[in-house]
Parts: sequence; C-alpha cells; structure tokens
Amino acid sequence: MTAPTGTRGRASSDDPRVMLDEQIGVFEPIPPYPPRTEREAEFYTLRDGEMFINIGPQHPSTHGVLRIVLKIDGENVVDLDPVLGYLHRGVEKLCENADYHQAICYLDPLEYVSSLFCEWPAVMAFEKLLDVEVPRRAEYIRVLSSELNRVASHALFMGWMALDLGGLTPILWSFIERDEIVEMLAALTGQRMLFNYFRIGGVNGDLNHEFLSRLGDWMGRATAQIESNTALLNENEIFVRRMRGLGTMDSETALRMCMSGPNLRATGVPFDLRRAHPYSVFPELEFDIPTRTEGDCLARYLVRLDEIKQSLRIIDQCLNEMPDGPVMAKLPRLLRPRPGRAYAGIEGPRGQYAAYVVSDGTDQPFRMRIHDPSYLHLQSVGLLMPGHLIADAMAVMASLDPIMGGVDK
Amino acid sequence: MTAMARTWGRLTLAGKVIFTVLPILAVLTAGLIVVIVLFGGGILDFLATNLWLVRFVVAATAVLLMSVPTAFLIIYMEMKVIALMNLRIGPDRVGPFGSLLSVVHGLKVLMKEDFSPTGVDRIVFTLAPIVVFMSTVMALLVIPFAPGLFGQDFNIGLLYFFAIGGMTVVGLLMAGWSSFNKYSLLGGLRSAAQVISYEIPLTLSVVGLLLLAGTMSLNQISLNQAGWFSDWYVFKQPLGALIFFIAATAEANRTPFDLTEADSEIVAGFATEYSGMRFGFFFFAEYVNVFVISALIVTLFFGGWNAPFPWPWPVALNLDPGSLGIGLLILVAIVPVIGTLILAAPFWLASSRVKGWQALVMGFILFNLVAVTAIFGIAYVGLDWVAGLLWFLGKTYVFVFTFVWMRGTLPRVRIDQLMGFAWKWLLPASLLNLFVTAAAIAIVNPR
Repeated sequence: MTAPTGTRGRASSDDPRVMLDEQIGVFEPIPPYPPRTEREAEFYTLRDGEMFINIGPQHPSTHGVLRIVLKIDGENVVDLDPVLGYLHRGVEKLCENADYHQAICYLDPLEYVSSLFCEWPAVMAFEKLLDVEVPRRAEYIRVLSSELNRVASHALFMGWMALDLGGLTPILWSFIERDEIVEMLAALTGQRMLFNYFRIGGVNGDLNHEFLSRLGDWMGRATAQIESNTALLNENEIFVRRMRGLGTMDSETALRMCMSGPNLRATGVPFDLRRAHPYSVFPELEFDIPTRTEGDCLARYLVRLDEIKQSLRIIDQCLNEMPDGPVMAKLPRLLRPRPGRAYAGIEGPRGQYAAYVVSDGTDQPFRMRIHDPSYLHLQSVGLLMPGHLIADAMAVMASLDPIMGGVDK
Repeated sequence: MTAMARTWGRLTLAGKVIFTVLPILAVLTAGLIVVIVLFGGGILDFLATNLWLVRFVVAATAVLLMSVPTAFLIIYMEMKVIALMNLRIGPDRVGPFGSLLSVVHGLKVLMKEDFSPTGVDRIVFTLAPIVVFMSTVMALLVIPFAPGLFGQDFNIGLLYFFAIGGMTVVGLLMAGWSSFNKYSLLGGLRSAAQVISYEIPLTLSVVGLLLLAGTMSLNQISLNQAGWFSDWYVFKQPLGALIFFIAATAEANRTPFDLTEADSEIVAGFATEYSGMRFGFFFFAEYVNVFVISALIVTLFFGGWNAPFPWPWPVALNLDPGSLGIGLLILVAIVPVIGTLILAAPFWLASSRVKGWQALVMGFILFNLVAVTAIFGIAYVGLDWVAGLLWFLGKTYVFVFTFVWMRGTLPRVRIDQLMGFAWKWLLPASLLNLFVTAAAIAIVNPR
C-alpha cells in the first residue's frame, strides 16, 4: 500500500493505515491515550535521565504474573506503577453461581502454595450462617493440616527469597521440605496442591495411616533439617548485608497500609488472629507470637523462620491431644442457610485471610467477598521501593511474599 | 541467459552462497598450488628464518582449538557440581554420566536460527560476541601450561593479559548498547562500571609480586617458583593473592559478582536479546574466562606448572629407539604376551570355576593398566612438560571448582556494595600490600 501524502508532504502518523519506519520496534510503556488521572500524568512524565523499565508480567522474579513499570534513574528506582489483573479469574463471581459445597473448590487456586488457608475462612463463614457445630476432632485435624501447610509455604518463601537475591541452592533445598509436606497432605486429602479438604461442618476424611506415618517420620527430623537448610542463608554475610535495613516500615505505617501476618509482626505489632480473635481450637493450644521490631526485610524473613518453629510446636500438641469422634457434623444434602451475613477471618502464612458471605436464603451465596493479604501487602511496594536500587526492589517484593493468584483473584 | 537467471533464482540462500564461494575457492586453490610450485623453496627458507611466525600460527590455532573442549568440560562440571550441591542428579542422559550434554548444547546453539531482533544495531550486535570470545581466547596465548608449552613468551606477558582481558568489557558494552533493550543496556553499563572498578585492584595486587619477581613474563614467574611449595608467591604475597582472587572473580563476572547477567533483576543482562551461536559465543567466553582466570591465579601465586615438591630422584632416561635395535622389536612382541600370561595365572589358579579365556581377559586388562601406568610414570619422570601439564591442569581445575562452588553457595551482591567494596576496601588493601612489599624489599635488599 502506498502511503497517502498529507498536505505537508509527509505521511501522517495519525493515519492508522500507515506504519512509519521510525516507529517500528519502538515499544514504549507509555499508554497511547492521554493521561486519565493526575497521578498517571505525573508518572508518565519523564525527567532528564530517567527511563521506564518493564518488570513482568513475564519476568523471572515476579512470583507469578505481576507487572511493575519502574521509572528508574540509572540504577535507582524513582517511581513505580504496579499493574495487576493478569491472573483475574472472577473467583468471587464463580462462587456466587455455585452452591455452598461447590464454592469451596473455587477457593483453592487462590493461593496455590497454601490452599487450606483459602478454604478455611469461607467454610467458617458458611458454618456461621448455618449454625453448625464442628466436631472437635475435625477442628484438630484442620489445625494440624493447616499448620503443616503453613510450614510448607514458609519453606518455599525462604527459597524464593534467596533465588531473588541470586542464590541458586536454597530454593531446591526448601523444595525438599515442601515436597515432603505436600506428599503427606496428598496422602491425607488426595491432592498435592489444591486440596479441597475442608467441608462445611468438618473435613473430608479422617487421618489415615500413610499420613500419620509420613508425618511422624518427618517430625523427628524437621527441626534439624530446617535449621540446616537455613544456616546457608542466616550466616551468609552477603545475604544479611543485603537484607538488613532494607524496605524498613514502622508499625504505624504498616497498620495504615493494612498489613497483617508476618509482615506486620516484623514491625513489632504482636497481632495474630489466632490470639486476637481466637477461632477453632487455638485457645487450647500453646504457642508464642514471634515478633521483631526492625521492620526490614531481614526481620520479615526471620519472623517467618520463628513461625515455622511455633507451627511445629502446634503440630506436636495437636498430635498429642487429638480427640476421638466424628470428623463431620450431620448436615442435610442441600444447604439453605437463613438470610443474613457472616464474616470469618483466620491467620494464614501471609496474613489475615477472610471471607464475607451474604445469604438470601437460597442454596447459593448471594454475595461473597474474599479478603486476601497479598493484595494489601502489594499496595505498600509504592512506599518501600522508591529510592532503592533495582536489585533491592526485587528483594523487597520477595520479602512481602505476595502470591499473584490471591492478588488478582 | 533467462534460463540461467531462473536457475539462479530457484536456489536457496545457502545455495547461492555455495555457488559463489566454490569457484572462488577453486581459483584460490589453483593459485596456491602454482605459488607453491614456483616459490615453494623460497617460502620454506623464509619460514625457516622466521620461525616465530610458524610458532605464532600454530599457537593461535592450538589455543583456539583448546578453548572449546575446555568450555565444554567446565560447563559440564558446573552443571554436575551444582546439581550435587542442590541435591539434584544433574545431567545423566547423554553419554556416560551425562558428560556429553555440553557438547550437545554446543551443537544445539550451532543449529539454531541466527536471529537478530528489530531495532538492533546489526553490525555492532554481530561483532559483540566475536570481540568477547576472541579477547578471552587471546588471553590464553601467554599462559605457560608447562615448561616449553606456551603460545608466546612475552616479556610483558602480564601486561598483555590485562590489556586483552580489559577488551572483554568493550564487547559486553557493545552487546548491551546495540541490543535495543533496556535490560541489556543496564547489563552492559553494569559490566562497564564493574570491570573498570575491579581492573584497578586487580592490577595493583600483582605489583608487589612483580617487585619480588622482577619480571612480567609469566614463564619467568613460573620458573621463579620452582622448588618446594613454600617458594610459591602465595606465601610471600597472601594479601595480594586474596585481592587478586576476589578481583578476578568480579572481572570474570562470576557469582557473587554476576550482576551483568543477574537473572532475577535484569533478565539476562547484556545477553537478553541474543540467541543461537551468538549467545553461544558469550556462553563459551564466560567459561573459557573462568579457566583463564584460574590458570592465571595458579601461574602467579600457586607455582604454575611446578610440583609442590622437587622430584627427589633425578632420572635421565635415554629413550632413543634406534639404539635398542632389534631388541626393541622383541620387547614389543614378547613382553605383552608374557605379561598377560603372568598376570592371568593367579586368576586361573585361584579357582577351578574360572575358565581359561576369562583368566586371559583379566590378565590382558591388568597388563594394559600396568603398561599405561608405567608409560605415564616414565613420561612424568622423563618429560618435563607432561609433569608440568598435569600439575598445572590439576591446580587450575581446583580453582575452577572453587568458582563453581561459589556459584552454588553465594547470593549476589548489590551494585553499590560491589562498587563500595572495590574502592573502599580492595584498593586501599592492594596499595597497602604494595607499600609493605616495597618496604620489605628495601629493608632486606638495600641497594
């Protein structure tokens, strides 16, 4: 096609049929439309010496499909714009079109490294709506399996953290730990990652021999094994120097940015939903809430290490005090809860997981809202990253431990 | 004419190239034969009087040919060693214990499409891997592998080495700049900053050694360290050796200083847009560089080709086959038979279940082992360069293993920590080393 010539004698760049030579292969992250907000206008204005760099959605260290447009000046991050939604599946809407039993299985893939924690708040909210009394054995099994899942999640976090800092080995070592736990949970629930194990009024099956033998086998060496795995990082001068004092956040800011879980406890606030708003059988169990006051990346990492030890304590107590009895409450096949609303929140490996359910009396939830901590943690990258180097930006993001499945829902 | 044009048009690009090149090659070959026939004697005389030219061509070819298997070996070593450290199995499919995997990798990158993305500066983009690879291989030219086994014995060998090593950064910068990619740009700039910063402590750390050695010829430095291992320069220059090791790690862009290709930050650094054999050149250059750096550390500080102890029994072997005459023929014919029978006898006598042929096979294998050991032993004792090469390669691969070990263990440092370490710690330390060495020489050895 010949390019139409305009009045000024050259092809107009507004003509959609014309592709000007100099524009071929120029991929600027600046959107083609005029800025819609003041913030957008400010972000997409480049000062002298600055440039945009696109981190993600396909990037080795973005933990999924997070895209961050970084505005950098040399190696320094000046500003950033996280772009979410690459993994949006409409889980909440899907749950509203399924009945109460079916809704649970949609929640597993939200956080694919700690699936049990996504099921639990929804199941608890449904139980509140239905006024179901969960058998004590089922509660103990829930605590036992979910604490195992927490250890697996934290083990994976340590590996990822090291991988984002350039260490090759810890990720594979922590996958060993995680694989053992995941295999024993597979023996219990039938699935390796997306367990779909909790049911309204109990769990989907009693403890079995394979699970218990694997668990007993692992518990004997878990502490020593985890400590030997983490020794490679904790005593590494390069690792500690990179993490200490990086991405520091004080407790007020953390509370204002709606942080929860280990990220909040790393700033010195001993807020743990298992103690603050006790649920299930946690009031009967003995465990500490590890906190740190520094609020930097190293503190976030170390708090998670301490939490692993507390989780092992809880697992030990659960095994000792496991009561006899049924694992499911007696429930009708078709559930029609009373019209009303219910909220339930639990403490997960990343923070506060919660579900808010509105029932209109039919067998499907009228409205279901899922609260995920990763999303709220991700909003503080705007505070933590600017002023640091690109390498530190990756470390900060890894220390917040977001899972994109939960962020985009 | 039209028929020819049509035939020409049907050829593929490769066909067109071959049909153009073949006649040229034929004409050149014919011309070469004519030249040799007419002026052969003159050329031979010229080469005989200028032996350095022959030596240089042979050395360059040998070094180029040696670099590729070395890279294959180190790549395989890295894959396997890091796999074992990660509690994985590593390559185990191609060849015994997966040892041919790196060769297959090499073939794979050769067969890939020679692709260059839109927007790149085509000429610079193509030249960059060549610059990087050639500068690495050229550095091999001055390394003394064994007594008499080196490319060129420059009296400024070390200076040549630093000059050529510094050229690598030009290639990396070319790659980063021409790739039309911001990750590449960042990687290229990082490598420029890093290599220029570490060049200074790297060079300063050996100045103390040069004061001691009194020469820049790597060959002479190796000769100076002959004798017991306490004569090695690492014991006279421990701080210099440490600084040199650290700075060399940064110079070779190895973990923990591999910021130029930090995969979790700037996807693959300067090599992001490269694929196929252009990437292959970068890849080979990196591993040849590891070998070169290790070899230089060994040459400067760990005695080069010298054994850690002097051979206590001086042996003068006279292995002139002509002087043995017919006896040699008898030796070659009879000794294997008798040796095999003698070594087979215990197996045959030990158990009645062992058949005669089985005993003979065992005897033959054992005889071969004994013969190989004996030949190697004689070569080791009698030939300087065999012993030297064994010791040199052994020590070098110890350092190659150290580099691989560090890659499996350490995380990456940050760019400001990297630069701060070079300017705040390594540079003063190397100056201190130089000062102390100079003062010691002045005190011990006053003019």
